[in-house]
Amino acid sequence: MSFIRAGLQKITSTFRSTPGIISRYVTNLAPIESSVVPKTTKDVIATCNKLIEQKASRNFAIIHLLGKQWRVTDGDLVVVEGYWPPNIGDKITLDKVLLAATKDFSLIGRPLVQPGLVTVTATIISKGLSHTRTHFKKKRRKQYMRINFQRAEQTILRINSVEIASKINEPSKSNVF
Amino acid sequence: MSNSNLFLKSGFLRAPLQNGVGRFVPQLQRIVFKFCKTHGASRGMRDFIEQDLLDFAKQNPNIVVYMKPRRHRSPVIVAEYLNGDRFWMSMHNKTHDEITKWVEVMRTQQGDIAATRLRKLQYTDHPSIQGPWTPFTFKDPELNVASLPDSKYGANDRLPMSATEKLRLMFEQQKLNESDIKTAE
Repeated sequence: MSFIRAGLQKITSTFRSTPGIISRYVTNLAPIESSVVPKTTKDVIATCNKLIEQKASRNFAIIHLLGKQWRVTDGDLVVVEGYWPPNIGDKITLDKVLLAATKDFSLIGRPLVQPGLVTVTATIISKGLSHTRTHFKKKRRKQYMRINFQRAEQTILRINSVEIASKINEPSKSNVF
Repeated sequence: MSNSNLFLKSGFLRAPLQNGVGRFVPQLQRIVFKFCKTHGASRGMRDFIEQDLLDFAKQNPNIVVYMKPRRHRSPVIVAEYLNGDRFWMSMHNKTHDEITKWVEVMRTQQGDIAATRLRKLQYTDHPSIQGPWTPFTFKDPELNVASLPDSKYGANDRLPMSATEKLRLMFEQQKLNESDIKTAE
């Protein structure tokens, strides 16, 4: 296998070096195996930590809530549909954070961001029922017709804050998991 | 009732007066129970009033509770909200349990939310924080300083591969394979 790969690399390099018609058909991107992954330097982490400390810009997070993913930031309103126990006035923290980011950098979870690093808090402001939705099915020439009406429970959430609580690359002491 | 219904308003998700930012204000302002003292259709309503209404009023000091007995008319609950909505509902022949559930719905909702079809299940003042994507977002910035027309950017790279080029590729590959066999040993 290795000599085939070497041959392929050689072929691509020859075409890339010679400017001609064929060079158009060869991508300039090197294969993933041979590309060097740049090492994350301390500078990057330090810069991010500094930005977190300064609260340089607005944060946002992608949270997982009842099987749906929402991109939320401070002051957002979110409607959760279906049965969900929290009642009005409750303040909750949304722990399943898939991604948290500011204007300048993003923290991507695999699949979740390290617990305790990001806190997303929300208040439940309303619990009611949606408008009546009509489910109408009909098959032509088959004497088949069904009509159903349904109303889903709707819980309205106000996102109060999306905060990156601690510094990156420093594990929090109160790690529950 | 459905999306195509002309008379169902559609709207976007809103909360009255930034509710939930800083503090939370329950939105039910006033609730009126209209019922008959003798008629059978008000049976459930009377049970609710006898058993649960005092607790309800004590637990929710922010809600004004009225009762309005009226002879031989259907029982009705009317809820009024801080945003001005008035939610009317007939409780004809409803049982005690059903009425308890509907009162809980009226207490917790922020207005007559079922009267509008929500077009979006989310509302945000900041639709983009890292900037919206454009066709140039992840492109090489060298295009910014290039002076056009330039043969590098103007070249037609959508031509199909011609037979000559195919032959040349095959030839080059063959050469490489031959040299590989020699060097691999």
